[in-house]
Amino acid sequence: MKAVASKLRFPGFALFAALFALLLSPLLAPAFKKTAGFLLARGQAPAPSSIKVVDLIPASLSGESNQDSEPFLAIQKDNPQVMVASAFTPNPFSMTGNAPVYVSQDGGVSWALNAITPVPRMTCDITHAMATGESHPRGDLHAGTLDCSSGVMLDESESVDVASSATMNVQSMRGNVDQPFVRALGVSSGDRIYVGVNDFNQSNGQTATIDVSVDGGATYKSVRIERRKTAGQDGPSVRPAVANDGTVYAAFFGWRKFDGKTATSDVVVVRDDAAATGASPFQALTDPSDKLPGRVVVKNASIPWSNAPALGQERIGSTLSIAVDPNKSSIVYVGWADKGSKGDIYTLHVRNSTDRGVTWSKADLPGTTIHNATNVALAIANNGVVGFLYQQLSGGRWVTHLVQSHDGFTTSQDTVLATVPADQPAEQFLPYLGDYDYLLSAGNEFRGVFCANNTPNFADFPHGVTFQRAADFGARTLNDGAGNLVPISIDPFYFSVPVIP
Amino acid sequence: MKISSVLMRSSLWGAGVLLALCGSTNAATSQATDNQATLMGKASIVFSGTVSQLAATSFADVPKSAQTIVVRVDAILKKPAAVSLKRGDSVTVDAKDASAFQEGTRATFYTDGWIFGSGVAVKELGHVLGNTNEPVPPPGAGKNRPGQAPGQLSDQELKERMNESDFVVVGRVTDVHKWNAPKAKSGAPLHVTEHDPDWHEAVVEIQSVLKGGQVKGNKVVVRYPNQNDVAWAHSPRFTKNQRGIFCLNRDKTTGAPLTKLGSKEVSVYTCLGHGDALPLSEEARVRALLKNQ
Repeated sequence: MKAVASKLRFPGFALFAALFALLLSPLLAPAFKKTAGFLLARGQAPAPSSIKVVDLIPASLSGESNQDSEPFLAIQKDNPQVMVASAFTPNPFSMTGNAPVYVSQDGGVSWALNAITPVPRMTCDITHAMATGESHPRGDLHAGTLDCSSGVMLDESESVDVASSATMNVQSMRGNVDQPFVRALGVSSGDRIYVGVNDFNQSNGQTATIDVSVDGGATYKSVRIERRKTAGQDGPSVRPAVANDGTVYAAFFGWRKFDGKTATSDVVVVRDDAAATGASPFQALTDPSDKLPGRVVVKNASIPWSNAPALGQERIGSTLSIAVDPNKSSIVYVGWADKGSKGDIYTLHVRNSTDRGVTWSKADLPGTTIHNATNVALAIANNGVVGFLYQQLSGGRWVTHLVQSHDGFTTSQDTVLATVPADQPAEQFLPYLGDYDYLLSAGNEFRGVFCANNTPNFADFPHGVTFQRAADFGARTLNDGAGNLVPISIDPFYFSVPVIP
Repeated sequence: MKISSVLMRSSLWGAGVLLALCGSTNAATSQATDNQATLMGKASIVFSGTVSQLAATSFADVPKSAQTIVVRVDAILKKPAAVSLKRGDSVTVDAKDASAFQEGTRATFYTDGWIFGSGVAVKELGHVLGNTNEPVPPPGAGKNRPGQAPGQLSDQELKERMNESDFVVVGRVTDVHKWNAPKAKSGAPLHVTEHDPDWHEAVVEIQSVLKGGQVKGNKVVVRYPNQNDVAWAHSPRFTKNQRGIFCLNRDKTTGAPLTKLGSKEVSVYTCLGHGDALPLSEEARVRALLKNQ
């Protein structure tokens, strides 16, 4: 019986999990349920714990076969039952109507598609955050979206009710930027929003930038966080992280050389101690080597850049994540990928600091050097446990892992959320799975999103899976709800995993 | 087909009232049919059904209001292929005027999608009372299929796309090649992103101009992205000897709107949007839609 796919690195937990699995073994058989005319596979229900994996495609869109890649997730902080997810999912009924987002109002059990973004048909990069409810129990969603319908344009927008049909209100827009990445912190005076962007409007090729709003998005100020000479620009990923005390970190790739195939890059972390409200934000950390703002965590990493399939059917070049302990802002983790050791295509690394980013671990934390992997996403739960989400190409399969540790990865628990064929389906465009996936903590859960091949096969999802769309797990086929076969494609999956003690 | 009344907002409302008052004269019937055809062209989901509940919704994700009604589907007349909807399903309709309906009312609903969850919710564009199972052809030569193919432009969308185009031409691609943007000045910043378009140029020999008047010479240079990035995933790609109908705009995207064609300096056009390159089999539809503009 393969009830528990977690690789447990500490025996106590293994014993506990095994006992729990035995107790719940009657639940392990697949459960099917007929609902609203669709034969739905309602998950394998295997888990000793309450691990949840849900395919986001709703039953009423069972006929779709899009490459719904590059997922993201926002959780309403005051009401975590409300969540918004996104992916490269087109408007299902119009070539010109608004691009949609997925909305859950029941803690991720079910999801519906609502076409409310201010972008026609399908977004390019989109990330978002819901800091507080204020007086909007199904808002405020703050999104940074690239509109690629004519050129590439950044929209920074807001919805006060993600379940309504109202198009999100665009608060700021400009061109010539890349890869917006939104984090937010709710305070009594309004939401503080931090949008990491690679801003080609900045002078001297110092493009790593944080757009800061301290008034709920009514106004934004663009803050350049790169202070060193670049190769003409920085890397696409600029990632903020916010602690409850208003400490804001950001990580970026400081490109020092670029030859078209490889970027020689520093991994740089900046910090602000006052929520970036001061006159010269993000200058609290300096590097001892040159006294300039921005601590260099790793110098001259060799990062392959390929805008064509390089790791399986996925492109590579800029995966980066930073997480701060929400309650102890001195503790911060950063993860990235580079060329790694000989024979590897792309290697992940995770390092940490316990003194507000002043000093960093000299080597990768134990077990965090991951070969041929991408889409690193880090998060820290309220109890200090670190979550490390990544997707590894292994044995011809994309394997999605969530590793948790409470002691800097000296011990850890590895949960395999999915292991799916990497060669199917054929890519429709790039990115195949996404240039990122995402991980957050909510209470005693890690919640996140990843993309994967959507073959309805319980063996691909070791902890079970729920498909909302019409699926036949016996035949391992999808259908349109009326019995007509639908091709396998890439779908976004939501997951929830209990935080380890 | 017996039409008892046609109820629609906008400029068509007057015609509907007139029809209801005067009965089915030939002229009125013809106008109503035109109205339905127009609606059929605009709507993405069309079905006939029976109202089963007022001020209600068919699934939990839809905000309930006085304007939301639940309709049991009797027949699907038009829908995108991705949408799962069949006879017997219950649909939430956000009605324009819910007072027009009672439980048991039968009507054909012309709608756009709204929320897709365990069920389908739609927004009403118009409706025709009575039991109508036959689709009314929209203007132009387009055919209505219950399941519209993924990525297929509706007549309305194609019309809008052509409206936005500077030229709509029928032509043949005589050459394709990579185009490198002029080199930036020394020391200028890089601009490397995942969304790099990898510009290519196609030379199109024009056989006829359907919109936009005279084109200088009989060939135009069309720039298009050859990159398979999500930003350009729906942009047309060109191949040598490809024949088709092309919706072109003057190049405002690449930053270099002029180029050399032979010894002449000519304007450059772009062809970027989904459906901007159509097969010749679409020519009749394109001509009919342009004629009806």
